[in-house]
Amino acid sequence: MLLFVGMDWHKGLSPEQMQKVSEEWMEWFKHLTEEGKAVAGHPLGFEGRGISGRNGHVTDGPFAEAKEVVGGYFLLDVPTMDEAVAIARQCPGLPCGAKVEVRPVLLNCPLNPANKIEETLAVTK
Amino acid sequence: MNAVEMSKNGYLLLFHSNNWWQDLGRENLEKIVAQNNAWIERLMTAGKAKGGQALTRTGAMVSGKNGQIISDGPFAESKEVIGGYLLLNVETFAEATAVARTSPSLAYGAKVEVRPLTDACPLDARLQELARADEIAVA
Repeated sequence: MLLFVGMDWHKGLSPEQMQKVSEEWMEWFKHLTEEGKAVAGHPLGFEGRGISGRNGHVTDGPFAEAKEVVGGYFLLDVPTMDEAVAIARQCPGLPCGAKVEVRPVLLNCPLNPANKIEETLAVTK
Repeated sequence: MNAVEMSKNGYLLLFHSNNWWQDLGRENLEKIVAQNNAWIERLMTAGKAKGGQALTRTGAMVSGKNGQIISDGPFAESKEVIGGYLLLNVETFAEATAVARTSPSLAYGAKVEVRPLTDACPLDARLQELARADEIAVA
């Protein structure tokens, strides 16, 4: 899974630059999807709620500050970490300061009852 | 209701983890796994969740102009990382938050972040903001 970290790196870009990066990003995702390497992905709204504690205390806003907040994700279907990192390195936001976290998906974790990958794929296709 | 309170694309729950289960004994661990399983199963059956996965603590962070900076995981034990996610098929922030509040892991110190899935990427959203500001300035 690729997690795009940071929601403030584009603030200093001109509208033209933003347009360009945005188009390149969409093209990148489309290409990965066509190749079957990306199976899902979505930008996330900056708004968020944090829930913690035994009684599910709710706070406004995401947990991290803007530079650490996850702004979107791609779910990749590639067999190796190397390939996932190689894909992450193509991210069009990198020259502007975006960061990409690459994390292997755990298939048989006892704390992972949500292994409904087929359903995930069925919904996103 | 404004756009923030509704999302036709659903919501994403991000489970923040600092290995809160590490010190749970076998009995507690089995209990929470069973509770968690039942929780997910209920949400799936009700059509409110449509998928999710756990993530390993290993990984890499790619940054720099051409992605030349690659720092390797695993992430330090104490560091809080995203340990998993669950995609929710609900239309309002209120309902997504209500679902998050029923997560059995909360009782053990886990934290859950609720985020809407959007159509426009943050850059597009910012462009729209700028365009609106221009319109106002012209008017």
